[in-house]
Amino acid sequence: MSKSNGNRPARIGFYVCHCGHNISGTVDVAAVARYAQALPHVVVSREYKYMCSDPGQERIAQDIREHALNRIVVASCSPLLHEHTFRTAVEKGGLNPFFFQMVNIRENVSWVNESPEEATEKAMDLARAAVHRVAFHKALEPKRVPILPDVLVVGGGIAGIHAALTLANAGRKVVLVEREPTIGGHMAMFDKTFPTLDCAACILTPKMSQVKNHPNITLWTYSEVSKVEGYVGNYTITVRRKPRYISEKLCVGCMECIEACIYKEGKFPDEFNAGLSRRKPIYIPFPQATPQVVVIDPQTCIEFKTGKCKKSCLEKCDRDAIDFSQKEVVEEIRVGTVILATGYKTFDAGRLPHYGYGKYDNVYTSLEVERLVNASGPTGGELILRDGRRPKTVGIIHCVGSRDRNTNRWCSRTCCMYSLKLAHLLKEHTDAEVYNFYIDIRAAGKSYEEFYDKLLEENVHFIRGRVAEVTDWTARPSEEGKLVIRVEDTMIGVVRRIPVDMVVLAVGMEPQFDAQEVRRLFNISCSTEGFFLERHPKLAPVDTFTDGVFIAGACQGPKDIPDSVAQAGAAASQALVLIDSGSIELEPNTAYLVEEDCSGCKSCLTICPYHAISHDEARKKASINEALCKGCGTCTATCPSGAIRQNLFEDEEIYSEIRGLLTPMPAEAQGGESC
Amino acid sequence: MIFRHTDLTRTTKTVPRLIKFEEELDLGFGEEIAAKAYGQKLLSCIQCGTCSATCPLSHYMDFTPRRVIAMVREGFRDEALSTTTIWLCASCYSCTTQCPRNIHITDVMYTLKREAILRGRYPKRYPIPVLARNFFQGVFRTGRNSEARLIIKLYLQTNPLDALRQAVVGMKLFLMGRMSLRQDRIRKIDQLQALLNAVDSGNGKKGGAGK
Repeated sequence: MSKSNGNRPARIGFYVCHCGHNISGTVDVAAVARYAQALPHVVVSREYKYMCSDPGQERIAQDIREHALNRIVVASCSPLLHEHTFRTAVEKGGLNPFFFQMVNIRENVSWVNESPEEATEKAMDLARAAVHRVAFHKALEPKRVPILPDVLVVGGGIAGIHAALTLANAGRKVVLVEREPTIGGHMAMFDKTFPTLDCAACILTPKMSQVKNHPNITLWTYSEVSKVEGYVGNYTITVRRKPRYISEKLCVGCMECIEACIYKEGKFPDEFNAGLSRRKPIYIPFPQATPQVVVIDPQTCIEFKTGKCKKSCLEKCDRDAIDFSQKEVVEEIRVGTVILATGYKTFDAGRLPHYGYGKYDNVYTSLEVERLVNASGPTGGELILRDGRRPKTVGIIHCVGSRDRNTNRWCSRTCCMYSLKLAHLLKEHTDAEVYNFYIDIRAAGKSYEEFYDKLLEENVHFIRGRVAEVTDWTARPSEEGKLVIRVEDTMIGVVRRIPVDMVVLAVGMEPQFDAQEVRRLFNISCSTEGFFLERHPKLAPVDTFTDGVFIAGACQGPKDIPDSVAQAGAAASQALVLIDSGSIELEPNTAYLVEEDCSGCKSCLTICPYHAISHDEARKKASINEALCKGCGTCTATCPSGAIRQNLFEDEEIYSEIRGLLTPMPAEAQGGESC
Repeated sequence: MIFRHTDLTRTTKTVPRLIKFEEELDLGFGEEIAAKAYGQKLLSCIQCGTCSATCPLSHYMDFTPRRVIAMVREGFRDEALSTTTIWLCASCYSCTTQCPRNIHITDVMYTLKREAILRGRYPKRYPIPVLARNFFQGVFRTGRNSEARLIIKLYLQTNPLDALRQAVVGMKLFLMGRMSLRQDRIRKIDQLQALLNAVDSGNGKKGGAGK
C-alpha cells in the first residue's frame, strides 16, 4: 500500500453510470451496483444517471468524506472523455487523484453488446477487475515542465509563412526553415487564385517580404532540419544550412553575376517554371524570390565540375559576395514548440501512361500550365505550346491521380476548383474551346459554386466522364495533328472522340516525397495515405500525438490556400497556448528505474521509441528522462531484470487486475485476497 | 444520327453504341438556343435531373428533358431536334418552376420545336407536329378552326388505318350534332394572313402559311 494511506485497508467507493440510456439501455446498472457492493473492500456502491454531472461528482467527493473512502472506481464511458473529470472529483474529496480507476462500460460494453445478460455480466467482470486493481494504486504527482518561448516553423509555403508571421506578430521569436533557396512554396508558382482570381504573387509576395524583414523571424532558406532532440517545451533542433556559394549578407540581388555567367543562355531545367524554361548554373528562382539572394547550383556549375571556369561571375560582383569555398553550416537551436508546414507534392502524371504525359508534347500538368499562363512564366504569359502552336481547343482532365484505387484513393479537393480557374484563364488567353472532363464537380467552399456557375455560363464544356485515353491515333481527317480524348459523355450516354490541341492533366496532391523521414524525425504519425496525422480529425486538427509539435497546411492532407492559412493560424495559436501557459503538466504514467536492480545491459536504450532513455556511463546504469517518456511500457516489458517499472502500470496493479478479472463469480468466494 | 426516335407506344429504346465525332456536332448550337430562350442560363445546367423527375410525361419521352439539355449544350443538334421529348412537352411548367438554375425549360422546348420545324427535322408522321401544322394551316386559310377537318387530316396523315376505326365514333358524333364538317370563314382573311406572315418573318421564316 502506498504512503498516503499507510497500511490502512482499502475502502473503495464504486459508482456506475447510466449515461442516459447509453449504458442502462443494455446493462442492468442496478444489478452491477448490487454486485459491486458485495466485492471485497467496497464500502459504498451506487448507480446514477449521469456521473459526470455536478451532482454525480459531488456525490463522490461527499462519500469520500462521509465514509472515509480511500479508493474510487467509476464504471462509465471512455477515460479519454472523463478520466480527468473524475480525478478532479476525487481530489475535491481530499484524495490523491490517482487513487482512481475508470471502467469503460459504454464503448467496451453497452455499445458493442446486444444481449443485456452478456453485457451485464461483462460489466460485472470489468468492475471486479478494477476493484482488485485500484487497491494497489499509489499516490502520484503530475510533473510540470517549462516551455521555451521560441518556435520552429518547418516549411516556407503559405502555411509556414502565415504561422511564422502570426507568432512573430505576437512577439515570439520564430525560426523559419525552408529547403528551397526561396520561400513561397507552391503558391508562388500559381498564376491566379480561385474563386476571386486574385493574382497569387500579388497577395503572397508582400507576406514573403514581411517574413524577411520581421525582427522576430530568423529566416533560413536552403536549409533542412537534420536532428530533433528533446521534448515538449524543450526541443534542441539541428539545422543543416546548405552552401549557396553566395554570401547572404553581401548579395543584394542585382543579378549581374547571372548576366556574366559564361553560359550565355539558360541550359538547365528551371525548377520554378516546372521545367518549362532553362536557367543558368547561377540563378535566382524568380524575380520576387525571398531572400533576394542568388544561388549557385554545384551540380551544373563548370567551376565545381572541372575547376577550370574563368569565373566571370566572380569578377562582375563588386560586393565580393560570391564564395566558391562556402561550406555547409550546422546550426543548433532550442525551441519549445514546432510547427510543421512541409506541404505536398503533385502526382507524377507519368504514372498514367494512357494520358500521354511525357509522350505527347502538348500534354501538360496543371502546375506547368500555371507557369505557362503566368506573365513572369517561360513564355511571358503567351499561351504557346511546346510545338509553337497556340491552342484552339483544350481538354482539362480532372482527377488525375485522385479518386482512383490504382493510384491514390483520396479526393485532392483542390483540382476541381483550379481546373475551373485554368479553364477560365485559358479561355481568356486564347478564346479556345475548353472541355472539362470530370467525375463530380466538388465546389465546396465560399463562392466556389458561384464560380462554377460562372464558368458554365462562359460556355466552357463540362463533360461528365473519366477520360479513357489521350491518343494521337486519328480516325478521321478532322483529327489529324490533334490529340484525341476518348470519353463517355455519361450525361448524354454516348462515347465521344474529342480532338484537342492541348491536354491539361489536373494532377492530385500527394504527401511530400520525404514525409516519412520528417515523420520519424519529429516522432509524429502519418495516416494510411502518408499525410501527417492529426491528434483528432475534428477536435484537434492541428495537434499531433507528440506534444508541442503542430501541423498546418497540405502536409496534413490536400488543402487549398484559405484552408492552409486557417490551419496555420490555428497551429500558431495552439503553440501560443503552450508558450503562454509557461509550463505543461505531464501525465505521471511514466517509467522509472529501480536503480539497484539495473545491470546496465542497455537493452532498453534502443527499443525506446521516444529516445527517453540514456546510459549513465559513470554509474553504468540506465537513466530515464521522464519528460520524454510517453508511458508506452516497452522498456518495462523489455528490462530483463525488472528494474524498470511504470507508474499506474505497476506489476502488482496489473496482476491484481488480471486476477480480479479471472476470479469466478460470485465475488465473495475470493474475499480479502487483494489487500 | 445516332438516336432513332420512336412513336408514343415505344417507351424504351435502344441506342446504337456508336462513337460521336466532334466534327459531327454543331458547337454553337447551345449558345444559339440559349439566346432564343432566356439567355445564358441554359448553359448553367448542372444535370441534376429535377426537370425529368418532375415532368409528368418524361416516361413517354425517348430522352428525358435533362438529356435533351445536355445534348443542346454539347451541340448534338440533330439528335436534340429529333427527340419526341420536345413534342411531348405539355407546357405544364413543372420543370421551369423547380429548376435550381432557373432555366426556362418549357421555353427551351418551344425554341427547339420551332427550330425543328424550320430545319424540317421534326418526325414526319408524329401526331403532335402534324396537329400543330394542320391547325395553323386551317386558321391561316379561313381564320377559323374546324375540329372535324383537323381530326380527319390528323388521322389521315399519321395513322390512316386507325382513321377507319375512329370513323365509327366520328359518325356517331356527327349524327348527334356534336361535330360539323362546315367550315366557318372570317371576313378580310388577307389582313389576318398579313399579321401571321409578319409574325413568321419575325421568327426568321419567309412567311406563307406555316409549312
